[in-house]
Amino acid sequence: MRRGELLGSLEHIILLALARLDGDAHGMIVRREIEERTSRNISIGAVYATLERLEAKGYVSSFTGEPTPERGGRAKRLFRLEAAGKRALQVSQQTIRNMTAGLNGWERI
Amino acid sequence: MRRNSPPAFACWIFESVIPAPHCEAMLGDLIEEYTLRAESVSPLAASRWFWSQACRSVPSMVWSSLRSRDWLISMSIAMGVYIVLGTLKFAADLTISKFIAPRPTTYVVLAPVVFLVATSIGGCVAARIRRGATIFLALIVMITVAVLIAVRVCTIPVPWWYQFGFLTLGPLSVLLTPAVFARSSPLAGGSATLKQ
Repeated sequence: MRRGELLGSLEHIILLALARLDGDAHGMIVRREIEERTSRNISIGAVYATLERLEAKGYVSSFTGEPTPERGGRAKRLFRLEAAGKRALQVSQQTIRNMTAGLNGWERI
Repeated sequence: MRRNSPPAFACWIFESVIPAPHCEAMLGDLIEEYTLRAESVSPLAASRWFWSQACRSVPSMVWSSLRSRDWLISMSIAMGVYIVLGTLKFAADLTISKFIAPRPTTYVVLAPVVFLVATSIGGCVAARIRRGATIFLALIVMITVAVLIAVRVCTIPVPWWYQFGFLTLGPLSVLLTPAVFARSSPLAGGSATLKQ
Protein backbone atom coordinates (compact mmCIF):
# COMPACT_ATOMS: atom_id res chain seq x y z
CA MET A 1 0.00 0.00 0.00
CA ARG A 2 1.50 3.29 -1.05
CA ARG A 3 1.90 5.94 1.60
CA GLY A 4 -1.17 8.12 1.93
CA GLU A 5 -3.31 5.74 -0.12
CA LEU A 6 -6.35 4.59 1.83
CA LEU A 7 -8.78 1.86 0.96
CA GLY A 8 -12.22 2.88 -0.27
CA SER A 9 -15.12 1.78 1.94
CA LEU A 10 -16.20 -1.07 -0.35
CA GLU A 11 -12.57 -2.12 -0.86
CA HIS A 12 -12.16 -2.21 2.90
CA ILE A 13 -15.33 -4.25 3.43
CA ILE A 14 -14.46 -6.72 0.66
CA LEU A 15 -10.95 -7.27 2.01
CA LEU A 16 -12.44 -7.86 5.46
CA ALA A 17 -14.93 -10.32 3.96
CA LEU A 18 -12.09 -12.21 2.27
CA ALA A 19 -10.16 -12.23 5.54
CA ARG A 20 -13.22 -13.58 7.37
CA LEU A 21 -13.81 -16.27 4.76
CA ASP A 22 -10.19 -17.32 5.25
CA GLY A 23 -9.48 -19.09 1.98
CA ASP A 24 -10.47 -18.98 -1.64
CA ALA A 25 -13.87 -17.37 -2.15
CA HIS A 26 -15.89 -16.51 -5.22
CA GLY A 27 -17.78 -13.27 -5.77
CA MET A 28 -21.19 -14.48 -4.61
CA ILE A 29 -19.82 -15.85 -1.30
CA VAL A 30 -18.17 -12.48 -0.69
CA ARG A 31 -21.42 -10.68 -1.55
CA ARG A 32 -23.41 -12.97 0.78
CA GLU A 33 -20.94 -12.47 3.64
CA ILE A 34 -21.23 -8.68 3.29
CA GLU A 35 -25.02 -8.83 3.07
CA GLU A 36 -25.29 -11.02 6.17
CA ARG A 37 -22.94 -8.90 8.27
CA THR A 38 -23.84 -5.39 7.12
CA SER A 39 -27.40 -5.76 5.73
CA ARG A 40 -26.02 -3.97 2.68
CA ASN A 41 -27.56 -5.32 -0.51
CA ILE A 42 -24.73 -4.76 -2.96
CA SER A 43 -24.72 -6.01 -6.53
CA ILE A 44 -22.47 -8.79 -7.75
CA GLY A 45 -21.16 -6.33 -10.35
CA ALA A 46 -19.97 -3.93 -7.63
CA VAL A 47 -18.23 -6.84 -5.86
CA TYR A 48 -16.43 -7.99 -9.02
CA ALA A 49 -15.51 -4.45 -10.08
CA THR A 50 -13.96 -3.85 -6.64
CA LEU A 51 -12.21 -7.23 -6.59
CA GLU A 52 -10.81 -6.41 -10.03
CA ARG A 53 -9.43 -3.12 -8.67
CA LEU A 54 -7.96 -4.86 -5.63
CA GLU A 55 -6.33 -7.44 -7.88
CA ALA A 56 -4.76 -4.68 -9.98
CA LYS A 57 -3.31 -3.23 -6.75
CA GLY A 58 -1.93 -6.65 -5.81
CA TYR A 59 -4.09 -7.01 -2.69
CA VAL A 60 -5.93 -10.09 -3.94
CA SER A 61 -5.19 -12.77 -6.52
CA SER A 62 -7.63 -14.84 -8.52
CA PHE A 63 -7.77 -18.11 -10.38
CA THR A 64 -10.42 -19.99 -12.32
CA GLY A 65 -12.07 -23.02 -10.76
CA GLU A 66 -13.84 -25.96 -12.36
CA PRO A 67 -17.21 -25.48 -14.12
CA THR A 68 -20.11 -27.06 -12.22
CA PRO A 69 -23.65 -28.04 -13.34
CA GLU A 70 -25.36 -25.90 -10.66
CA ARG A 71 -23.66 -22.87 -12.21
CA GLY A 72 -24.99 -23.68 -15.67
CA GLY A 73 -21.62 -25.16 -16.64
CA ARG A 74 -19.76 -21.97 -15.84
CA ALA A 75 -16.45 -21.82 -14.03
CA LYS A 76 -15.95 -20.04 -10.70
CA ARG A 77 -13.43 -17.27 -10.29
CA LEU A 78 -11.90 -17.69 -6.86
CA PHE A 79 -10.22 -14.85 -5.00
CA ARG A 80 -7.54 -15.01 -2.33
CA LEU A 81 -6.33 -12.31 0.06
CA GLU A 82 -2.62 -11.66 -0.50
CA ALA A 83 -0.01 -10.45 2.00
CA ALA A 84 -0.15 -6.92 0.52
CA GLY A 85 -3.92 -6.95 1.04
CA LYS A 86 -3.49 -7.98 4.68
CA ARG A 87 -1.01 -5.12 5.18
CA ALA A 88 -3.40 -2.67 3.51
CA LEU A 89 -6.16 -3.85 5.83
CA GLN A 90 -3.95 -3.42 8.90
CA VAL A 91 -2.98 0.13 7.83
CA SER A 92 -6.62 1.00 7.15
CA GLN A 93 -7.81 -0.45 10.46
CA GLN A 94 -5.02 1.37 12.30
CA THR A 95 -5.99 4.65 10.60
CA ILE A 96 -9.58 4.25 11.77
CA ARG A 97 -8.40 3.40 15.30
CA ASN A 98 -6.13 6.46 15.33
CA MET A 99 -8.89 8.73 14.10
CA THR A 100 -11.46 7.46 16.59
CA ALA A 101 -9.10 7.31 19.60
CA GLY A 102 -10.00 9.86 22.23
CA LEU A 103 -13.38 10.74 20.73
CA ASN A 104 -15.93 10.68 23.49
CA GLY A 105 -19.43 9.51 22.60
CA TRP A 106 -18.67 9.56 18.85
CA GLU A 107 -20.90 6.52 18.30
CA ARG A 108 -23.91 8.73 19.07
CA ILE A 109 -23.09 11.21 16.25
CA MET B 1 -39.13 -20.21 -18.42
CA ARG B 2 -38.42 -23.66 -17.00
CA ARG B 3 -38.50 -24.32 -13.29
CA ASN B 4 -35.18 -23.32 -11.68
CA SER B 5 -33.91 -21.65 -14.81
CA PRO B 6 -33.03 -17.98 -14.46
CA PRO B 7 -34.75 -15.32 -16.60
CA ALA B 8 -33.34 -15.88 -20.09
CA PHE B 9 -33.69 -12.24 -21.13
CA ALA B 10 -31.78 -11.01 -18.05
CA CYS B 11 -29.03 -13.54 -18.85
CA TRP B 12 -28.94 -12.30 -22.40
CA ILE B 13 -28.62 -8.65 -21.34
CA PHE B 14 -25.88 -9.67 -18.96
CA GLU B 15 -23.99 -11.65 -21.60
CA SER B 16 -24.39 -8.87 -24.15
CA VAL B 17 -23.15 -6.04 -21.97
CA ILE B 18 -20.69 -7.39 -19.39
CA PRO B 19 -17.11 -7.62 -20.68
CA ALA B 20 -16.14 -11.20 -21.58
CA PRO B 21 -13.48 -11.96 -18.93
CA HIS B 22 -15.92 -11.31 -16.06
CA CYS B 23 -19.17 -12.45 -17.63
CA GLU B 24 -18.81 -16.20 -17.16
CA ALA B 25 -17.85 -16.12 -13.47
CA MET B 26 -20.45 -13.51 -12.58
CA LEU B 27 -23.27 -15.18 -14.46
CA GLY B 28 -22.30 -18.51 -12.92
CA ASP B 29 -22.46 -16.93 -9.46
CA LEU B 30 -25.86 -15.42 -10.21
CA ILE B 31 -27.25 -18.72 -11.54
CA GLU B 32 -25.93 -20.61 -8.50
CA GLU B 33 -27.53 -18.12 -6.10
CA TYR B 34 -30.73 -18.05 -8.17
CA THR B 35 -31.08 -21.84 -7.84
CA LEU B 36 -30.64 -21.66 -4.06
CA ARG B 37 -33.16 -18.82 -3.75
CA ALA B 38 -35.68 -20.49 -6.07
CA GLU B 39 -35.60 -23.61 -3.91
CA SER B 40 -35.58 -21.86 -0.53
CA VAL B 41 -37.92 -18.89 -1.19
CA SER B 42 -39.83 -18.99 -4.49
CA PRO B 43 -38.93 -18.92 -8.19
CA LEU B 44 -40.72 -15.58 -8.58
CA ALA B 45 -38.76 -13.91 -5.77
CA ALA B 46 -35.58 -15.47 -7.12
CA SER B 47 -36.34 -14.08 -10.59
CA ARG B 48 -36.95 -10.65 -9.12
CA TRP B 49 -33.64 -10.85 -7.28
CA PHE B 50 -31.87 -12.04 -10.44
CA TRP B 51 -33.25 -9.14 -12.48
CA SER B 52 -32.27 -6.64 -9.81
CA GLN B 53 -28.73 -8.03 -9.61
CA ALA B 54 -28.32 -8.14 -13.41
CA CYS B 55 -29.54 -4.56 -13.88
CA ARG B 56 -27.52 -3.15 -10.97
CA SER B 57 -24.34 -4.97 -11.99
CA VAL B 58 -24.20 -3.60 -15.52
CA PRO B 59 -23.25 0.04 -14.64
CA SER B 60 -20.53 -1.09 -12.19
CA MET B 61 -18.94 -3.43 -14.69
CA VAL B 62 -19.20 -1.02 -17.63
CA TRP B 63 -17.60 1.70 -15.50
CA SER B 64 -14.89 -0.71 -14.35
CA SER B 65 -14.23 -1.65 -17.97
CA LEU B 66 -13.97 2.02 -18.95
CA ARG B 67 -11.53 2.67 -16.12
CA SER B 68 -9.33 -0.24 -17.14
CA ARG B 69 -9.21 1.16 -20.70
CA ASP B 70 -10.68 -2.01 -22.17
CA TRP B 71 -13.05 0.35 -23.92
CA LEU B 72 -10.24 1.67 -26.15
CA ILE B 73 -9.82 -1.75 -27.75
CA SER B 74 -13.60 -2.21 -28.08
CA MET B 75 -13.95 1.29 -29.52
CA SER B 76 -11.16 0.66 -32.07
CA ILE B 77 -12.78 -2.61 -33.18
CA ALA B 78 -16.18 -0.91 -33.48
CA MET B 79 -14.67 1.92 -35.50
CA GLY B 80 -12.86 -0.52 -37.82
CA VAL B 81 -16.03 -2.57 -38.39
CA TYR B 82 -18.00 0.63 -38.97
CA ILE B 83 -15.55 1.91 -41.61
CA VAL B 84 -15.50 -1.41 -43.51
CA LEU B 85 -19.28 -1.82 -43.40
CA GLY B 86 -19.89 1.84 -44.13
CA THR B 87 -17.81 1.50 -47.30
CA LEU B 88 -19.67 -1.66 -48.35
CA LYS B 89 -23.04 -0.04 -47.63
CA PHE B 90 -22.06 3.02 -49.62
CA ALA B 91 -21.16 0.77 -52.57
CA ALA B 92 -24.48 -1.09 -52.19
CA ASP B 93 -26.43 2.20 -52.02
CA LEU B 94 -24.66 3.45 -55.14
CA THR B 95 -25.42 0.24 -57.04
CA ILE B 96 -29.07 0.33 -56.01
CA SER B 97 -29.59 3.98 -56.92
CA LYS B 98 -27.80 3.64 -60.29
CA PHE B 99 -28.87 0.23 -61.56
CA ILE B 100 -31.47 -1.59 -59.45
CA ALA B 101 -33.80 1.17 -58.28
CA PRO B 102 -33.07 4.45 -60.02
CA ARG B 103 -36.49 5.85 -58.99
CA PRO B 104 -36.56 7.58 -55.57
CA THR B 105 -39.67 5.69 -54.39
CA THR B 106 -38.06 2.27 -54.96
CA TYR B 107 -34.87 3.49 -53.32
CA VAL B 108 -36.82 4.62 -50.23
CA VAL B 109 -38.11 1.07 -49.85
CA LEU B 110 -34.76 -0.66 -50.44
CA ALA B 111 -32.56 1.68 -48.37
CA PRO B 112 -33.82 0.48 -44.94
CA VAL B 113 -33.35 -3.15 -45.99
CA VAL B 114 -29.72 -2.51 -46.97
CA PHE B 115 -29.22 -0.49 -43.78
CA LEU B 116 -30.60 -3.21 -41.51
CA VAL B 117 -28.65 -5.96 -43.26
CA ALA B 118 -25.46 -3.89 -42.95
CA THR B 119 -25.98 -3.11 -39.25
CA SER B 120 -26.88 -6.75 -38.51
CA ILE B 121 -23.73 -8.03 -40.24
CA GLY B 122 -21.71 -5.30 -38.50
CA GLY B 123 -23.09 -6.34 -35.11
CA CYS B 124 -22.24 -10.00 -35.75
CA VAL B 125 -18.70 -9.21 -36.94
CA ALA B 126 -18.02 -6.87 -33.99
CA ALA B 127 -19.41 -9.41 -31.50
CA ARG B 128 -17.33 -12.14 -33.08
CA ILE B 129 -14.15 -10.11 -32.53
CA ARG B 130 -15.07 -8.67 -29.13
CA ARG B 131 -18.45 -8.72 -27.40
CA GLY B 132 -18.13 -5.25 -25.86
CA ALA B 133 -17.50 -3.69 -29.29
CA THR B 134 -21.19 -4.05 -30.25
CA ILE B 135 -22.23 -1.36 -27.75
CA PHE B 136 -19.77 1.10 -29.27
CA LEU B 137 -20.83 0.13 -32.79
CA ALA B 138 -24.47 0.72 -31.87
CA LEU B 139 -23.54 4.12 -30.47
CA ILE B 140 -21.55 5.05 -33.59
CA VAL B 141 -24.49 4.02 -35.81
CA MET B 142 -26.94 6.01 -33.69
CA ILE B 143 -24.77 9.15 -33.69
CA THR B 144 -24.12 8.93 -37.44
CA VAL B 145 -27.83 8.53 -38.24
CA ALA B 146 -28.71 11.42 -35.90
CA VAL B 147 -26.13 13.65 -37.60
CA LEU B 148 -27.35 12.66 -41.10
CA ILE B 149 -30.95 13.44 -40.08
CA ALA B 150 -29.89 16.77 -38.55
CA VAL B 151 -27.99 17.92 -41.66
CA ARG B 152 -30.81 16.66 -43.92
CA VAL B 153 -28.69 14.52 -46.21
CA CYS B 154 -31.78 12.74 -47.56
CA THR B 155 -33.32 14.95 -50.24
CA ILE B 156 -36.26 12.62 -50.85
CA PRO B 157 -39.27 13.68 -48.74
CA VAL B 158 -39.95 10.94 -46.15
CA PRO B 159 -42.20 10.82 -43.06
CA TRP B 160 -40.69 11.31 -39.58
CA TRP B 161 -41.19 7.66 -38.56
CA TYR B 162 -39.05 6.56 -41.50
CA GLN B 163 -36.06 8.47 -40.11
CA PHE B 164 -36.95 7.46 -36.55
CA GLY B 165 -36.86 3.84 -37.71
CA PHE B 166 -33.27 4.27 -38.92
CA LEU B 167 -32.33 5.93 -35.62
CA THR B 168 -33.74 3.15 -33.42
CA LEU B 169 -33.71 -0.05 -35.48
CA GLY B 170 -30.12 0.40 -36.67
CA PRO B 171 -28.52 0.35 -33.19
CA LEU B 172 -31.00 -2.34 -32.08
CA SER B 173 -30.08 -4.64 -34.94
CA VAL B 174 -26.39 -4.15 -34.07
CA LEU B 175 -27.10 -5.28 -30.51
CA LEU B 176 -29.78 -7.92 -31.07
CA THR B 177 -28.60 -9.86 -34.14
CA PRO B 178 -25.38 -11.24 -32.60
CA ALA B 179 -27.31 -12.23 -29.46
CA VAL B 180 -29.97 -14.03 -31.53
CA PHE B 181 -27.28 -15.88 -33.51
CA ALA B 182 -25.35 -16.72 -30.34
CA ARG B 183 -28.48 -18.22 -28.76
CA SER B 184 -29.39 -20.30 -31.80
CA SER B 185 -25.82 -21.60 -32.28
CA PRO B 186 -25.17 -24.93 -30.53
CA LEU B 187 -21.48 -24.02 -30.18
CA ALA B 188 -22.19 -20.77 -28.36
CA GLY B 189 -20.70 -20.82 -24.89
CA GLY B 190 -22.89 -20.18 -21.87
CA SER B 191 -26.53 -20.91 -22.49
CA ALA B 192 -28.99 -19.14 -20.27
CA THR B 193 -30.59 -22.29 -18.94
CA LEU B 194 -29.16 -24.64 -16.41
CA LYS B 195 -27.41 -27.67 -17.80
CA GLN B 196 -28.57 -30.29 -15.34
